[in-house]
Amino acid sequence: MESPDPAVLVEAVLLVSGRPIGERALLSATGLDRDELEQALSRLAGKYDVQNSGIVLRQVAGGWQLATNPRCAGAVERFRGEARPAPLSGAAYEVLSCVLYLGPMTRGAISSVRGVNSDAVVRHLIERNLLAEVGTDGESPGAPALLDVTEDFLIATSAEGRGDFTPLEELVSEEELARVRERLTDRAPGKE
Amino acid sequence: MNPGSPRPLSDFSVEIEVYSGPYEWLLALILHQEIDVFEVPLRDLVSLYLRERISEGERALERDAEFAGSAAALVLLKSNSLFPALEEPAGDAGEEVSAEDLAQRLSTYLRVKRGAEYLRGRFERGWGYHPTGHALEPRRGMLRIDRRRLEVSARRVFSRLEEPSLAHIDRITLSLRDLVSLIRDALLKGGGPLSYEELVRDMDRVGRALAFAAAVSLASEGEVRLLQEEPFGPLRVMPA
Repeated sequence: MESPDPAVLVEAVLLVSGRPIGERALLSATGLDRDELEQALSRLAGKYDVQNSGIVLRQVAGGWQLATNPRCAGAVERFRGEARPAPLSGAAYEVLSCVLYLGPMTRGAISSVRGVNSDAVVRHLIERNLLAEVGTDGESPGAPALLDVTEDFLIATSAEGRGDFTPLEELVSEEELARVRERLTDRAPGKE
Repeated sequence: MNPGSPRPLSDFSVEIEVYSGPYEWLLALILHQEIDVFEVPLRDLVSLYLRERISEGERALERDAEFAGSAAALVLLKSNSLFPALEEPAGDAGEEVSAEDLAQRLSTYLRVKRGAEYLRGRFERGWGYHPTGHALEPRRGMLRIDRRRLEVSARRVFSRLEEPSLAHIDRITLSLRDLVSLIRDALLKGGGPLSYEELVRDMDRVGRALAFAAAVSLASEGEVRLLQEEPFGPLRVMPA
């Protein structure tokens, strides 16, 4: 029997995986070489175009995944009888932002940056598998656990990896920061 | 409590070793550190209250609640005093924070907050994707066995039970039965004591060990006797 087209092979393997599949695993399963795999993925990306297909090819969390087109989400959710997960709170997004941009970091460090105790929020995010303990801070007393974002976090944010997020420095303009500094230093004792 | 009505515990007085007078004044003295909370036996205070407790009347519950609240506060104060005084962490309330430090912290927080808003958008955009419902794991009973990997795994699991290598030992070509016959024939031929060294002269180490085992076997059956006049001395095999 004639060997299937590389894109067909990759498509079949991606179909049976609920999680993103890394390049190495795809190469191993399909027996393709790197060039063939790249061409196959490129063809599949064209085939599963957001405009023309109910399935899309995503590059997330360091791998490739076939998923339903978000434009069809309503129909899929009605069919499966499932509700969208409860949206995260503002505090939860702040904790995730801390860990993503400044982490891995301890619970204490997160609370220190936010100025409030964040343990309950961290616990909730661990339960939702968006944060995980990845080690310990050996230099701090008691070696507290270090937290980092998970693969599920990358999938939920459609990110290929940590480098796929806008750098923190670009999220706030220098002018805005300068205004904050100016206001504070103007109010400092001895300045009035 | 109605304004103008007496306080619930205003008529409760106590008499303990370090103080005698209204209970409320005792609380005030403790709070102003005129009396050390460690010198106040809380258990005695509770006993005194229970002894004078008024169980009926419209203010009984209010009075009990007031006492329970004040007693709990004293317990908390006492237990807190048992802990060593902790140093204020750097940057916490009480420490003078320079405007520059504060600006730095606020800048970091402002960035984190903007990061949070940015992540909210990414989460919202990523919510509509549903991956395939197929499970990645092989279906039950359908797991493909890679024989080579299975062998490696099994070897690892049972590696502690592996037989030690015998490569350094020569192949054994003699049997114990042959050696028993050899000893019997030599004894019949010689008719007297037989030197073990003479018997095994042409044998290798394994043969010598087996010949000794054969001689011991014959001795245990009472067919021969083994003589050795001194430790490590020459060994002789004699007919029984």
